[in-house]
Amino acid sequence: MEAISVEFTKVGKRFGARAVLAAVSGTLRPGEVLVVAGPNGAGKSTLLNILAGVLRPSRGGVAYRRGDEEVPRREWFENLGMASPDMAVYEELSAIENLRFFGRLRGHALADGALAELLETLGLPVREHHRAVGTYSSGMKQRVKLAQAALHAPAVLLLDEPSSNLDAAGHEAVAALVARFRARAAVAVATNDPREIAWGDARLDLAL
Amino acid sequence: MTDNRVRTALHWLLGGWMLLVIVAAFFWAPSAVGFKGESSRIVFFHVPQAWVAVLAFCVNLVASLRYLRTRDPLDDARAAAAARLGLVFSLLATVTGSIFANVMWNSFWNWDPREVSIAILLLVYAAYFALREAVPDEERRASLSAAYAILAFVTMPFLVFVVPRIYWSLHPDTIIGATGKLKLQMESRMLQTLFGSLVGFTGLFVWLYTLDVRLARVRLARREREEA
Amino acid sequence: MRASTLLSESLAVLGKELTAELRSRVALNAIGLFGLTTLIAVAYQIGPYQIQEQDRPYLLSALLWIILFFAATSGLSRVFVKEEDAHTAKTLRLAARPLAVFAGKYLFNLILLSALFSLIVPLYCALMSYRVRGVAGLAVVLAAGAVALASTSTIVAAIIARASGSTTLFAILSVPLVLPLLVMLIQGTRAAAASAELAAVLPALQGIVSLGGAVLTVSVYLFPVVWHD
Repeated sequence: MEAISVEFTKVGKRFGARAVLAAVSGTLRPGEVLVVAGPNGAGKSTLLNILAGVLRPSRGGVAYRRGDEEVPRREWFENLGMASPDMAVYEELSAIENLRFFGRLRGHALADGALAELLETLGLPVREHHRAVGTYSSGMKQRVKLAQAALHAPAVLLLDEPSSNLDAAGHEAVAALVARFRARAAVAVATNDPREIAWGDARLDLAL
Repeated sequence: MTDNRVRTALHWLLGGWMLLVIVAAFFWAPSAVGFKGESSRIVFFHVPQAWVAVLAFCVNLVASLRYLRTRDPLDDARAAAAARLGLVFSLLATVTGSIFANVMWNSFWNWDPREVSIAILLLVYAAYFALREAVPDEERRASLSAAYAILAFVTMPFLVFVVPRIYWSLHPDTIIGATGKLKLQMESRMLQTLFGSLVGFTGLFVWLYTLDVRLARVRLARREREEA
Repeated sequence: MRASTLLSESLAVLGKELTAELRSRVALNAIGLFGLTTLIAVAYQIGPYQIQEQDRPYLLSALLWIILFFAATSGLSRVFVKEEDAHTAKTLRLAARPLAVFAGKYLFNLILLSALFSLIVPLYCALMSYRVRGVAGLAVVLAAGAVALASTSTIVAAIIARASGSTTLFAILSVPLVLPLLVMLIQGTRAAAASAELAAVLPALQGIVSLGGAVLTVSVYLFPVVWHD
């Protein structure tokens, strides 16, 4: 996997008459964690969605760069892992089945053993792996969601409030995940949690 | 501004032309043989309205295709403007056709293939705006409605060409029929009035359409200024 | 470069749909119950003997498609709406190629429609004493109808899921697109019922197949736009 940096320039987004984001610029560098902070409604999630390419900005642009070469938009998703509150995994499937499915889609099919190991490092015990996700607590769902984001070892990792619904042990697991990715990937974390803000090598404050 | 002077001149020309068409439709052109009373005169308005409804559909398609390529909000405004006029004119064509049908055949609705076609066109426009209403995000609204417009355009030919042929139609054959020959034997003054009206209604469409698009352009420019 | 092929991705999506559906059975129940309820209401209130002999070819073919179409409408929009409702749409969007999503969902809807047709059509023929002379012709019309209906409803479902996700909007957007198709399907069914010759259904079949093909082709180009924006 090659390092990718994400550059965003003067990104703005408007929902109807309401401007959510006004001309925000910055860069996600490989080997760095960018913390995006700011009050509720300041546009943290909106910015992450625009960086991921799932939301079209009203103005400004985003570019993925591998060295000097620009990565075409259609290849963004395969280099990207993301977890956010507006995402979910399939409730009818078990944790392992979910990861197997997303792994197959990404052409990154791991053995069930490796998937179980990933879930365990995120704090989901083996006895839960084969139950339908619909029966999980919200903290357990959050762990599956994080596993889904990390599954294919992406070059860009975007985490929106990664510790929501998690207990202290869960928070530790997220910290370990971020530390593991920091070494080789570009990571962005949107959060207001002071402990998570401390992870940042760079910080972007959004205002209302 | 010469641009404005040209525009004003064109407005007067269009107004005069339409007046001429109305006078010609009621007094100059004879009423057609075989129709009840003066009922045939409605054709001078009904046919151009239906033509504009179809023209608007095509303009909407072109603007929608362009939007998906350029992502220019103005192209979305163009598509919406064309659809708005299409909705109005297909409604007018349906109503005038219905009135005529009632006079001629004592029934407002006869399930004639062309009646069905214009009604479906009306439904497409209504659905198009129902979709636009349902999407608050501007960029998404623009691309979803463009996609729907293209989809609707692809299915329309099946309605206009495939379905009607199987039925018998109350409508006289189109001016230029399937064979490409002039089918309708119209008195020349009637024909001139009809073509004059077609030109006039097309002009009316162009005027209203450019007005709407200019308004959208001003709105977009104002928002740009506010944000900058 | 992606390591997975389009085919394996599409099949993964289809497999996921089938597994999830077999566990929840929401769409199957909705479509099956809606179909059975309308069928029973029609069969009970109209039955085979309330229709004049000369009206039978017209009424029976139209009633059949009304039952099938409305049952289908109740369930086919779910393929995309449920992804948005359950917030899995974004997860799927990030992981799969749009074309694979469309293909998987299209195949799933096709399977649902085939299940609906094979449940309702024989029952309908039995309950309404609908004598179909050209059984092969009817089968071909039904198959082509499933292919065409699945294509319009899958792309419209994708559009409405990104809008409000309401079934009302699904109906509003579907009607103008599906109406010509329904007319041709009713004509094709009538032709199959009247004649054992396979050639009898050909005119309607051409229309059904070309409409379905055209919508499917355009959908392949439009779907990425609808899915991503």
